[in-house]
Amino acid sequence: MQNKKIKFAIGSFLIVGAIGFLITSSISSTSKFYFTVDELVASNQVSPGTGLKVKGNVVQGSIARNPEDYLDVAFSIEFKNAKLPVRYNGVTPDMFKDGNEVVVEGTMDRQGVFHANTLMTSCPSKYEAEKEAGKSHPGNIPMDGGPQPTQPAPDFSSKTTI
Amino acid sequence: MNELGEFALMMALATALYGIAGYVMAIRQNRVDLYFSADRTPLIVWGCVMVSSVALWKAFITDDFSLQYVWAYSNRDLDIFYKISSFWGGQKGSLLFWTLLLTTYMMVVHVQNRKRDLRVVPIAMVVMLVITLFFLFLLNFSTKPFEVIPVPPEDGRGLNPLLQNYWMVIHPPTLYLGYVGFTVPFAFAVAALLTRNLDDGWIRMTRKWTLISWFFLCMGNLFGAQWAYVELGWGGYWAWDPVENAAFMPLMVATAYLHSVMIQEKKDMMKVWNMALILLTYVMTIFGTFITRSGLIQSVHTFDEATLGYFFLAFLGVIVLFCVGLILKRLPLLKSKNELDSFLSRESSFLFNNLVLLGIAFATFWGTIFPIISEAVRGVKITVGPPFYNQVNVPIGLVLLALIGIGPIIAWRRATWSNLKKNFAKPVLAGVVGGAVLFPMVPLTDKAEILSYVAFVLCIFVMATILIEFWKGAAARQSLHQESVPASYSNLVWKNKRRYGGYIVHIGVVFIFAGIAGSQAYSVDIEKHLKIGEKITLGGYDLTLEKVIWIKANETKERLIAQLAVEKDGVRIWTGKPEKEFYKGQNQPVSEVDLRSTLKEDLYLILADYRGEQFDPVTNTMATISDGEATIKAHVMPMVAWIWMGGWTIALGTVVAAWPDRAEARRRLERLKRMEGVFAPAQQE
Repeated sequence: MQNKKIKFAIGSFLIVGAIGFLITSSISSTSKFYFTVDELVASNQVSPGTGLKVKGNVVQGSIARNPEDYLDVAFSIEFKNAKLPVRYNGVTPDMFKDGNEVVVEGTMDRQGVFHANTLMTSCPSKYEAEKEAGKSHPGNIPMDGGPQPTQPAPDFSSKTTI
Repeated sequence: MNELGEFALMMALATALYGIAGYVMAIRQNRVDLYFSADRTPLIVWGCVMVSSVALWKAFITDDFSLQYVWAYSNRDLDIFYKISSFWGGQKGSLLFWTLLLTTYMMVVHVQNRKRDLRVVPIAMVVMLVITLFFLFLLNFSTKPFEVIPVPPEDGRGLNPLLQNYWMVIHPPTLYLGYVGFTVPFAFAVAALLTRNLDDGWIRMTRKWTLISWFFLCMGNLFGAQWAYVELGWGGYWAWDPVENAAFMPLMVATAYLHSVMIQEKKDMMKVWNMALILLTYVMTIFGTFITRSGLIQSVHTFDEATLGYFFLAFLGVIVLFCVGLILKRLPLLKSKNELDSFLSRESSFLFNNLVLLGIAFATFWGTIFPIISEAVRGVKITVGPPFYNQVNVPIGLVLLALIGIGPIIAWRRATWSNLKKNFAKPVLAGVVGGAVLFPMVPLTDKAEILSYVAFVLCIFVMATILIEFWKGAAARQSLHQESVPASYSNLVWKNKRRYGGYIVHIGVVFIFAGIAGSQAYSVDIEKHLKIGEKITLGGYDLTLEKVIWIKANETKERLIAQLAVEKDGVRIWTGKPEKEFYKGQNQPVSEVDLRSTLKEDLYLILADYRGEQFDPVTNTMATISDGEATIKAHVMPMVAWIWMGGWTIALGTVVAAWPDRAEARRRLERLKRMEGVFAPAQQE
C-alpha cells in the first residue's frame, strides 16, 4: 500500500522534474537580453556573440541598400541619443521606414556593428496610444470632433518573423 | 438608439446586482417569493445586453460616426459584412460582445436547468451574475462603447485592412465562444463547492458545456493559425506570440480536465484534481484576456489600453484567491474513497496525460511571463522566443502523442503482461514497420528531422491503436448482431458516441501532430530579388517572374501583383500571383500571399518587396511594367494541409461525442427524480 504510493510519487516526480529540467535548461540556452539602444550602449555585460534583442527607431536617412544585392541592408537605430549601426540581410517589412520603431534580433561583432537575423516593425500609432493610456482616459482621441482619417487603426502591428 | 443602448447597459448592471442579492437572500432565509423574483434576473440581464448590442450594431450599419467606437473602426465605404463584424474589432465592442455571449450562455443555462437540481443551479446563477457584473461594470464605467463625439465627423477611420477578410468574422467569435463557455462549468464547480454537493452531479450537468467550450477554443486556435498562415504572410501558422499562448494554455488545461473527469465519473477518484483543473481553466481564460487587453506583454494582438489591464488583474487576483481558499476549505469533503491500483493501468495513464498537458501549459505560461519576472528579479529584460517553446513543448508533446495511443487500450485497474501483449502487439508492430518503411525516405540530419521522424512513427502507432479499436468493435457487432460491414461501423459509433467520438477527435489530433512534424522539420524557403524572366529554384519547383502588374481595384484599393510561372520537371503546373494591396488612408500596404496547397506540401509565395519608385501609382489603368522587379519570398512546407484536415476531423468527432444521447438523458432524468423536493420552490411550480 505504502509502497504503491511511493511508486506514484516517484513517477509523478520524475515527470514533473523532467519538465522542470527542460524548462530551465531551455530558458538558459534560448533566452535573449532585451535592450533599448541606450541600455545596450550603457551596458558592459554584453560580449560579442551573445544573443540580443534591441529596440530603437530607424535613424532618418540611414537606410542604405547594397546596389549589388537588394536584400543586403545597412541602417542605424537610435533611442535616447544612443545610436547603433545594424546590418541585415533579408526582406524588410512594410513598415520599415525612417523614424519607425523596430526590434532587431541578432549579435554584436567586435567592431560594434549589430548583425540582425530578424527585423520586426511595430505600428507607431500603437505605441503613442500606449503612452497616452497611462496618462489620461484611453480612447479619447477625437473629443474635439476633428476627423483624423489618415491615422490607421491601432490593433495590429506588422510582423515578419516566425 | 445610442442612449437606449447606454441605458440598457445601466439597467443590466442594476438588474444583475438585484439578482445576486435576491438569490442570496432567498436561499439564506428560504424565501420563495424572493427566489422567484431573483430567478427572472438572468433573462432580464440578457435582454438588456441584447438591446445594447443591437443598438451598437445599428450604429455601425447606419454609419453613425457620433459614436467614437464606430468612428474608430468603420467608414462609409466599408462592406456591410465588415460593418457587422467591426462590432468586435476593437476593445470596447469586443467587451460588449463578450458580455453578450456570457449572458446568452447564462440565459440558456437558466432555461435548461430551471427545474433541475435546485441545490446547485441558483448558486451557479449567482456566480455567473457576479462575473457578468464585472463586465457590466467595465462597460458602464471604464470602457464605454457608447461614448460620443460631440461634433460627429463626416466619415470614420475605417477598419484595419488586416482585419478585412472573412477570418475576422469567424476567428474572434469562435475563440470567444470557447473562452466565455468555460464560465458555465466554472460556475457550477464553484456552486458545488459552496453548497457541498460534491458528487459528480455538477460534472454531468456541465459535461456538454465543457465539451462545446473546448471545441470552440480548439477551433478558435486553429482558425487563428490559419488566418495567420493565409493572411498575415510571414510563412508560418504559429509564432508562440503571447496572445496565441493565452488561447493555448486554457486549451491544454481544459483538455486535461476533459480526460480526468472520466476517472471521477467511472471511479470516483481525482475529485480535488478535477475541481482544481476546471477552476484553473477559467483562471487561464481570464489571464489570457488580461494579457490581450493590458498590453503588458508585447504582442501582435495587443489592444492599446493599460487601465483596463488593472481591472482584469484585480479580477484575476480575486478569482484565484477565492478558488484556492474555497478548495482548501472543502478539502476534507473532496477526499476520494478509491485509490490508483497500479502503475500500469488506464487510470494512471490518465494521470500522466494530465501531468503532461499541464506541463505544456506551464512551460508556455513560464515563457510568456518570463520577461516580466526577469525584469523584476534581475533588473534586465530577458525574453524567450519560439526556440524556447519548441525546445520544451516538442518533447513533452511527443510523450503526449504516445499516451494518446496507450491510454485508450491499456487495461483498467491493472495491466498484466499478457493483456499488454494482446493489446499492444499489433499497434507496436505497425509503428515498427511504418518506421522501417519511412527510414530511408526521410532525411535524418539534424535534431528537428529526428524529432519529426519520431513523431511520424508515433503517429502511425497511435493511428493503428485507434483503427484496431474500430475494427474490433465492428467485428464484434458483425458476429453478434449479424450486421453488414458499413452498418456495424456506423452503429458502433452511434451507440457509443462518447467513446468513438473521442477516438475520432484523437485521429484529428494525430493529423495535426503529423502536419506540425512535417512542416516544422522539412520546410525550405528562399528570398530573392528578381527581374522579369529571372528564375529561382526551390524544393523541386522552378519559379520564373513573368510580370509585375499594377491594378486599381476600386476607389479605395490598389493592387500590385507579381505573376510567377511555376514549373515542376519542366511542366508548368501553376501560376502564382502574390500581391500587395494599398488601401486609401492606410500608410502601409498589406501583403496577400498566394499558395498552392496539396496534402504533400504547400508552395507559399509572398511578394515581399518591390522597387516602389519604378511604379507610377497615378496610372489608374492596368499596365504591365516590362522592367519590373520584385523581391519574392517562397516557402515549400510539407503537410501543412494535414493540420487543417485534423481540425475538421476534431470538429466531426466533437459533434459525435456531444450529440444528444437518449439513453444518457434517461439515466439523468432518473437521477433527478430521486432528488426531487430538495428545495421548496421546486414543488410550487
